[in-house]
Amino acid sequence: MDIYLPIAEVSVNWPLLVLLGALVGFVSGLFGIGGGFLMAPVLVFMGIPPTVAVASQASHVVASSTSGVIRYSGQGAVDYRMGGIMAAGGAVGAFAGVELFRYLRLLGQADLVVAVSYLVFLGAIGTLMLNESLTEILRRRRGETAPHKERRRPLWLYGLPFRMRFPRSGLFISIIPPIGLGVFAGVLSAIMGVGGGFILVPAMLYVLRMKAGVVVGTSLFQIIITTAITTILQAGRNQTVDIVLSILLLSGGVVGAQLGARFSGRFRAEELRAALGLIVLVVGIHMGMELFVRPTDIFLLAPGISDR
Amino acid sequence: MILAPPPPPPAVEASAFTREGSEQSVATDTGLRVAAALTDAQVKVDSSFRGASIVLYGAVFNPSDQPADVVVVVRGPDAPVRLVRKTRTLGVWLNSRPVLFEGAPGFYMTASTRPLSDIADFGQLRRLGVGVDHLRIDAPDEQRTVTRYGVRDVVISRLGEDYLDWRRAVIRLKEAAALYNTDPAGVSFVDKGLFRAEVELPASAPTGRYYAEVWLFREGEPASVSNLTLTVEKVGFERDIYEFAHRHPWLYGVLCVLLAAATGYGASRVFRRVG
Repeated sequence: MDIYLPIAEVSVNWPLLVLLGALVGFVSGLFGIGGGFLMAPVLVFMGIPPTVAVASQASHVVASSTSGVIRYSGQGAVDYRMGGIMAAGGAVGAFAGVELFRYLRLLGQADLVVAVSYLVFLGAIGTLMLNESLTEILRRRRGETAPHKERRRPLWLYGLPFRMRFPRSGLFISIIPPIGLGVFAGVLSAIMGVGGGFILVPAMLYVLRMKAGVVVGTSLFQIIITTAITTILQAGRNQTVDIVLSILLLSGGVVGAQLGARFSGRFRAEELRAALGLIVLVVGIHMGMELFVRPTDIFLLAPGISDR
Repeated sequence: MILAPPPPPPAVEASAFTREGSEQSVATDTGLRVAAALTDAQVKVDSSFRGASIVLYGAVFNPSDQPADVVVVVRGPDAPVRLVRKTRTLGVWLNSRPVLFEGAPGFYMTASTRPLSDIADFGQLRRLGVGVDHLRIDAPDEQRTVTRYGVRDVVISRLGEDYLDWRRAVIRLKEAAALYNTDPAGVSFVDKGLFRAEVELPASAPTGRYYAEVWLFREGEPASVSNLTLTVEKVGFERDIYEFAHRHPWLYGVLCVLLAAATGYGASRVFRRVG
């Protein structure tokens, strides 16, 4: 049941990869995220070179996000104008990120930067989500009502130029913060192989203060564009996209994503957020441990010369 | 004990024993010679490739009573090797600047009738470059820094004090990946004068041309050598994809994305109908 991957140049058990795709797809459908942050560590653990894993799973993110956007689009829950502007930033970020990743790989520091990024971003987001959702769950148990949320947008958002109207998001703000967010997500997409939804969604909710209903659909729309650009750049610049690996992952992924989306209706939003926060935190800590645990061999092969 | 200096290039190349371009065994001593062949001189890497096991078999013509030893050496294509060393700084394990060896075989194995050190002495093995400890891993005489693609690499010097640490690390890491292998009992005689050895290629073996040398040693001296070649190449679908990805990388990337988007779209249509 093994298959030889032409770009990764390793032989892997293919039903296992389809299953992994389905599992990550399920999680992504359940929580409305890309799920890339879960997949890369598992692929690396299976012996696939990290650079190939990061680049190839991006297309899995494209597939699951496309399927998600079509669903949200039917409910009118995608702000294409906002998504397009963020994607423009995402394109710039992806370009910079792919170049940065290439440079870091040649420096032999790519794995280190990936580990630090996972620890910092996943650790922080996971902690925040867990904290927020647990507070809400406890409050509900005690029967208290939610305190009145501050709905005032940060003042600096209004001081910026190039303001634009976003009717679907209920916003009239400068286009600079969405572009900045897009750039940031693009860089993360190239370095960590993730869509960046776990950062975009809270930022769109709490910083931009978009209407909650359009946040997930819009972030998925921008993720499709950013990860599509990342995939093309990784293929063009680094030749690290393995199409066979991608097909195996996304064939399981699309089925898993649909099943996950159906299951999501059975749980409370804050319970889902608590579970997701826990997963994010565990993955972040697990990846970050690499920095602190004595390695089994202090020498490490660094890739990057033979592949141009 | 004085640490041995790193191996100089072998004074006698294997080709010195053979006629130019031929794959024939040649006697260097009257009567005593070895002949060998591979069951499969062409390894095809396709989607079911999980590594390959090739049998090398051969015959020893030994008219005298003195016993002779057979040593099989298989070398894969050379490629530069870059290494980093992890060092602990403020409790965090960080990578050093990469160190570059300009050429090391992508695959290397020896199989012999007895441990190599019993077959020939240190100097002889080093001169011939036989054995993982005597393997040529190219390093210049002077340490220097090269800049490639905007990244500064340190090229490790053959005279540098920690050269041996780095060299041992290359071998250890390649051995862990099953790319380097030493089997002191890998050559077995199935009959008087008839021997066989197995070449185990892992799935990660590099593609390209491999060179196999079959040495016959008597009393610690090389008596005869037979040279064989072996090619490992991607075939069919695997090669098409690999070449497409390298010749038209941008088009390949676009196709990957279109495929992913189409799959996502298709799945949502199918599921909408079902649900």
